[in-house]
Amino acid sequence: MAVPDAKEKWSSSINTVTLGATKAQGGTRGRTVTIGGQKGIPFMKFEGEVPNPPAIAIDVLDIAPTDWPEELAKVYRDVWDSPAKWAVRAKELGADLINLRLDGTHPDEADRTPEQAVETVREILSAVDLPLIIWGCDVPAKDQKVMPKVAEAAKGENCLLGAVTEKEYRTLTAAAQAYGHKLIALSPIDINKAKQVNILVSDMGYPVTNIVMYPTTAGLGYGMEYVYSILERTRLAALSGDRLMAQPVILDVGYEAWRAKEAKTGDEAAAQWGPASERGPIWEAVTATDLLQGGADLLIMRHPKAVATVRKAIAALVA
Amino acid sequence: MIIFSERVNGMYRDIRAAINEKKKEPIVKVLKEQLAGGADVIDVNLGPTKGDPVENFAWLASVVHEVTDKPISLDSAKPDVLVAAVPKVKERIGNTKLIINSSTADPDCMAKLVPLAAEHGCGIVGLTMDKGGVPGDVEKRVECGAAFIMQALGAGIAPGDIYIDPIILPVNVAPKQPVNVMEAIRQLRVVNDPPPHFIIGLSNVSQKCLMTHLLNRTYLVMALAAGLDSAIMDAADKELVEAAVSAEVLLEKHLYSDDYLKAWRMQKGIA
Repeated sequence: MAVPDAKEKWSSSINTVTLGATKAQGGTRGRTVTIGGQKGIPFMKFEGEVPNPPAIAIDVLDIAPTDWPEELAKVYRDVWDSPAKWAVRAKELGADLINLRLDGTHPDEADRTPEQAVETVREILSAVDLPLIIWGCDVPAKDQKVMPKVAEAAKGENCLLGAVTEKEYRTLTAAAQAYGHKLIALSPIDINKAKQVNILVSDMGYPVTNIVMYPTTAGLGYGMEYVYSILERTRLAALSGDRLMAQPVILDVGYEAWRAKEAKTGDEAAAQWGPASERGPIWEAVTATDLLQGGADLLIMRHPKAVATVRKAIAALVA
Repeated sequence: MIIFSERVNGMYRDIRAAINEKKKEPIVKVLKEQLAGGADVIDVNLGPTKGDPVENFAWLASVVHEVTDKPISLDSAKPDVLVAAVPKVKERIGNTKLIINSSTADPDCMAKLVPLAAEHGCGIVGLTMDKGGVPGDVEKRVECGAAFIMQALGAGIAPGDIYIDPIILPVNVAPKQPVNVMEAIRQLRVVNDPPPHFIIGLSNVSQKCLMTHLLNRTYLVMALAAGLDSAIMDAADKELVEAAVSAEVLLEKHLYSDDYLKAWRMQKGIA
């Protein structure tokens, strides 16, 4: 008896989003990065094409971090006083994109001004030629001052700006619209809100095809399965034709993985857990590779060993 | 769900007059309202109009086609009219998808219309009745529905092009039939995988009743829960359409969001 063909047939696909702009496209990037476009559930190539492998961005902060664990500090300490040098390091370590967090603009951190933030963005743009993701400090009143200026300074570079939420979306959407950037739409592990943010943003006239969804992230051992199930449900809705859920997905893997005590605790406090130099990167890599199976297109990461491991996994999955 | 607009029908005085006088405007006006409400397919029915029915169908289809590229359902109880109308309409409006509405499960009727649908790549509606008329019970509906599905699949028509109509009758004269229609849909759905579509002429359930809109709305929601996925209905009845979309959210056909009605309209391009 013949084995029945159990392949799923999907009526729709994930949107394709291109980030960055070369000289010919009005920017100054050396290359662009395209994500999305899958025609089936993750890596099931026999059901649907995977035209663009998931991309990896590496974190760069606009101020030196004070709470990064030693294993990460070892990699970045010598450059983290200069975001431009840090960005160069990220490129050397294999990043497809630079993920710039303007943490220093937070009123409780360095309270950096919009002008200082613009300066940082300009420095990074001239130091490296990778496409840029730029996040505010998550204080709406401050982000409303900083992000429009940053968006203007990076005009033409086709950056990915984060993040719009159900409550705060007008200013950033208008800035992205005016200066030609893509948008991250954030929803806190809530698929209904994820759809709602996309509705609100596209209702302002912003193309729903320029959105990248960020359903927040949880690390291995800290509720990752909730994120996984949301990724899965989102992808099934998208592939069945829901155009308001067909956006590629960005996940903040490095930040979440390195919050776990299993990743950040040093050798002295946890000798029996194995060497911290392996443990942390493994925690980050496992978080990333697990979530990729749920449906993710752009991973923000931190440790070069984890980046290398995940690259290998992606290559094997799309081969 | 797939909304078949019911309004381009010669049973309505404005449309009847328009067909008789070959005046486009009243038809275009109604069409625009139905499309704005979310119609997916335009059902065209000549009703008691004058002139050659085949020529009338061709004219009506071309009027619809000037306004929209959406599929057109040719609605007639006369198989010979449909046999003549399908090629004529195709000749007039090219490759627009047509749905033949309808055939019964009577072998003579199926022999005319099922091969016609297969040959022209049309969808086809199959009524769950034969020469014996509209069944009063569930069993006969299921028997006729199964016979029609077998015949259509055998002719190479895809399940997605088959619409089973279990025939809803007015609740004031046939009070058991709303329940029987739902049960027939449930049973036919269980034994057919992938299933065909299930369709009803919704307004029939409330014909000559006082609370027509409320009855239509309530029955549509009930029937959707039983497995109905299309209906010939008034797409311009906003409360009706919104009740249907809400039912589909509750049946997890659409992902909920606070603005789920807007989301549905955005995806249809009518927001």
